Amino acid sequence: MNRDESAMGIADRYAKVDRDVLAAMKRPGRLYLAGLAFTALLVVIGGALWAYQIRSGLGVAGYTHPVNWAIYITNFVFWVGIAHSGTLISAVLYLFRARYRTSFNRAAEAMTVFALMVAGLFPLIHLGRSWVFYYLIPYPTQRQLWVNFRSPLVWDVFAVGTYFTVSLVFFYVGMIPDFAAAKQHVAGIRKRIFSVLSLGWKGTEKEWRHYGMLYLFLAAFATPLVASVHSVVSWDFAMSIVPGWHTTIFAPYFVAGAILSGTAMVITLVVPLRKAMNLHEYITDDHFESIAKILLFTSLIVSYAYIVEFGLASYGENVFEKEAFRYRALGEFRYLTWAMIFCNSLVPLTLFARRLRRNTTFLLVVSLLVNVGMWLERTYRPTYVEVGISLGSFGLFFMLYLLFVKNLPVLSISEIKEHL
Amino acid sequence: MAAPMVFEEKGKFLERLRGLVREGVPGERIRVITPFGVPEVEEILPRGRSKVRFFALVGAASGTVTGFAFTILTSLSWPLIVGGKPIVSLPPFLIIAFALTILFGALSTFAGFLLLSRLPSLRGIRSGEEYGNAFVILVEDGERR
Repeated sequence: MNRDESAMGIADRYAKVDRDVLAAMKRPGRLYLAGLAFTALLVVIGGALWAYQIRSGLGVAGYTHPVNWAIYITNFVFWVGIAHSGTLISAVLYLFRARYRTSFNRAAEAMTVFALMVAGLFPLIHLGRSWVFYYLIPYPTQRQLWVNFRSPLVWDVFAVGTYFTVSLVFFYVGMIPDFAAAKQHVAGIRKRIFSVLSLGWKGTEKEWRHYGMLYLFLAAFATPLVASVHSVVSWDFAMSIVPGWHTTIFAPYFVAGAILSGTAMVITLVVPLRKAMNLHEYITDDHFESIAKILLFTSLIVSYAYIVEFGLASYGENVFEKEAFRYRALGEFRYLTWAMIFCNSLVPLTLFARRLRRNTTFLLVVSLLVNVGMWLERTYRPTYVEVGISLGSFGLFFMLYLLFVKNLPVLSISEIKEHL
Repeated sequence: MAAPMVFEEKGKFLERLRGLVREGVPGERIRVITPFGVPEVEEILPRGRSKVRFFALVGAASGTVTGFAFTILTSLSWPLIVGGKPIVSLPPFLIIAFALTILFGALSTFAGFLLLSRLPSLRGIRSGEEYGNAFVILVEDGERR
């Protein structure tokens, strides 16, 4: 806090928080509109290619024996993974009472919800006949036949469906008091929308008492999801007998990878957000240092998992397993494997240096490299349809995110005031 | 209802609130409105712990029961052996039960919160009554209650 602020009365400081956080909602600049147009274009391209794929069949996505999931499962796993650190930051850090959470939680929760929306599209895209997706949902059919609950695909429906619903409720509940605060600063249709979204919240002691308990329980319910959802996703692979996949370490390995990629994505999103919206007072270098430590820690776990994976294959007597890993390290796609190890295991080691942890530009570079590295985890040569649809998914995610920063409170107003 | 007492600072607001309680104003007649949750209010006006937690327990427990009952009963209703697994395969059913425990628990906690806080409130949505960042104490008249 600088000297001007300590001289300010507390009421002025509360008002300043309102102003600073809601300043993001002003008329967008050219750069913002250009970004929005670009991401929307990617969505349109992705959508058109999806339509083309539906019309022509999955062959255009390179589906042929033995390739039957291709890049769509990579994208699914990638986006579900991205979602994870949102929950970690908002729920787990809440339970641990970590103060720096306040700087990141809203951005992270939004990221979780949007990443899950994007992730959820990929099983549908992969289906080919996307409109029969409801076969996966257990409902009483005419034939009285129910879904096969022993199938990992059905576990996915339950795990990801639950995750999305709980994350959405958590995201929304966190914003209820902020909607009530924000509606006092806007006019017109926005005021009406915020009033409805605030549910008529007034801030009485009764509301706050129940709200505190609700938030605590939602955090407690969301926390086990951090470990369980990506474990279930990993079992999509591990329940198969494909060499290189059929292994028991997949669940913890995926969870660590998810948190690594998600934390990297939070940094990727929040560094530009802080700069563009001038939020240096609320999101400080100390906060970035704390989050960089999480990135470093999860990177070490992921590196350990890489070592164990190769260790299990080389010690075991399964020749197919051995060959799968030899191929990964030395075969056709070796450069991608090495790039992955470089991005996920070596680059984050630089974060042992305190000076680098506090340098947000450097953090942004590291986080982008980690995002690339995590995406490289499942290697394969894609067709242009797959590339286009994948780019479309990135477009959709960033478009939703851009819409979020202009339309909803990007930081938790009530929590920041509480900590003033 | 008496005119609202509006404070800019949390300290002064809490002081006045303590004063009111000391003066013998019954706690049920005092309402406060704050821009964020103030834990001290609960110490001054003890109302007991929020009952939202019972909704969490009942929701979560019903989720577990539903998860197991649903998977077991539907499997038994058309007993078809798939992949050599037993008809009632508890390990995979546990995954469904786990997911539903969390889903039902979270949704019922949210519903409990809405019910207990009387939200959404149409009056609250329509009302123009706004106190901004102020801490407010409202004392309701004795006779009306």
